[in-house]
Amino acid sequence: MAGAEMTQQKSERIMNLTICLLLARRYVDKANIREVVEGYHGLTDAAFERTFERDKDELRSLGVPVETGSNDVFFPDEVGYRIKRKDFELPAIEFTPAETAALGLAASVWESATQAEQAVSALAKLRAAGVDPDPGRPACLAPAIGAREPSFGAIWAAHADKVPISFSYKGQPRRVEPWAMSFRRGAWYLLGRDRDKAEARMFKLARVDGTATRIGKPGSYQVPEASELDQGWQHLEPGGADEVAVVAIRDGRANDLRRRGRACSLSAPKGYVAYQVEYARAGDFVGEVCAHGGDVLVIEPLDLREAVIVQLATVAGEEIR
Amino acid sequence: MTSADQVSRLLALVPYLQRNPDVDLEATAIAFGITTKQLLKDLDVLWYCGLPGGLPGDLIEIDMDALDSGRIRLSNAEFLTRPMRFTPDEALSLLVALRAVAELADTSDGDGVVTALVKLEAATETAQPPKVSVATGAVELREELRAAIAAKLMVELDYTDAGLEPSMPVVAPAQLIMRDGYGYLQAWNPARADWRSYRLDRIGAVRNTDIPVGALPDPPDFDAGWLENSPEARTVTLRLAPRAGWITEYIPVVATRVRQDWLEVELLVADPAWLRSWLLRLGADLLAVFPDDAAVGARTAAAEALTIYRAG
Repeated sequence: MAGAEMTQQKSERIMNLTICLLLARRYVDKANIREVVEGYHGLTDAAFERTFERDKDELRSLGVPVETGSNDVFFPDEVGYRIKRKDFELPAIEFTPAETAALGLAASVWESATQAEQAVSALAKLRAAGVDPDPGRPACLAPAIGAREPSFGAIWAAHADKVPISFSYKGQPRRVEPWAMSFRRGAWYLLGRDRDKAEARMFKLARVDGTATRIGKPGSYQVPEASELDQGWQHLEPGGADEVAVVAIRDGRANDLRRRGRACSLSAPKGYVAYQVEYARAGDFVGEVCAHGGDVLVIEPLDLREAVIVQLATVAGEEIR
Repeated sequence: MTSADQVSRLLALVPYLQRNPDVDLEATAIAFGITTKQLLKDLDVLWYCGLPGGLPGDLIEIDMDALDSGRIRLSNAEFLTRPMRFTPDEALSLLVALRAVAELADTSDGDGVVTALVKLEAATETAQPPKVSVATGAVELREELRAAIAAKLMVELDYTDAGLEPSMPVVAPAQLIMRDGYGYLQAWNPARADWRSYRLDRIGAVRNTDIPVGALPDPPDFDAGWLENSPEARTVTLRLAPRAGWITEYIPVVATRVRQDWLEVELLVADPAWLRSWLLRLGADLLAVFPDDAAVGARTAAAEALTIYRAG
């Protein structure tokens, strides 16, 4: 039988199995399923067992909640199957025209093909529920999210399925339970529990060597509450400003710093105006000031001024070997 | 096309076709992101699906005459009127996409994005929706740019480029786009007679003009290779102390060589001012530059700054 025809027949069998289990008010046992689902007719016992188990696993992998249980409290071992409608169906959900337009834009955001397909498939479900995301809207907004990290696909899928993974991180082997992911300024991050360190850790996907390997079953750990996740993500935010410097900014230059600061009355060289600028001690303010060359001069504090002069001397002098 | 993909689609197609009786074949294929040939195969499968038992009256019915004239009419499928829940991957992928839209949207449609996100998160029961953070500048500036795009009017930008050079270009704004975690305005610059991309977080202010935007050529694709395509770009190699390795995550690097005591990164440099500001910023972590003359700009700028410090 040709491959395409096999696919058609398999889809047909799995659809009929789904409808059968969805309509059942009670658990349906295997013998019954074999009788009423046309696709299982004409199979040997062993072939039926094999085919049915594979179909059931495939349905579950699609997210169809196939439940196992018994109708009889006295014979709980008599196993049957069903799909509860309320667990299966997308809950009623209505969108305003503005929301629908936003959903339409979301269709073309992903640059990575796998995630683009997933988003399109989610939107198809919304269409089937009566929402009509309009893809023909003029695109004066074109948001895009990429994922160039080689490990992205494996780590994303593991975090969606809640599967523990192992990977090499800056040369060190790690075993991690993925909790959540985040995209910040073009880079992907994973937050999860490091099994060896027994605590929450954040990983930048760009520093993962190669890809990740699954080392457990889906759903084999608990993801903590949102508040704990938020705490974990805080490391991503730049440290708050905790110092104030006075810098002289050359007229018409360094607009980024000027916007961050407040003009002040301290005297500055001719052609410059003094500004108070807040900065984080933990950050690289020396580097930021030096990047402006002669357009930004530190007036105080003195230690910052000294550090900037030393760095400029390094760049100007013999130190660039 | 695997059977899993097909079943997943069929479970959405059946409720869709019941909600849209007598729908166009091609339009349906487009809505589901498949070819009409594949859609016909899907309908072929449905033809044999229905209530357990498989008696003729139990099966899904598709009007074959209508199908011949490009219309789909499906009936006898009341047992499947709602789509399935999102899978975790679908929910997460859609939420990330919508969060990216939210980063670029302004208040005129921002409200729709935010409430749509709330509704979707509730419907998907996602405990840990991914966060998305993109540098897109101030929301007021985006609003002004959107208004100017809609009104087809030129704007004057207060702009600081990657080399920290300020300028005041007058441009024809075309669209707001996103690339590698940054938002950009794509605009036609008449003075340069070319398309330019302006990073939104480097635009300090937008001034409206009453100059109408004339006919423009199509904007180029702003794809991953946009820097490589720049004709003026030259290759420069920086030898860095190992602790400056973080730079590779912030600038586009063509190649990296790692040794015990240093690493070398090869860059494509289209703008000497951009390179100068990075060399000044790296300071002692920069061990060498090849070719050496690429560092002249930074040396001169540092010497000039020192002169002013020592005079004061």
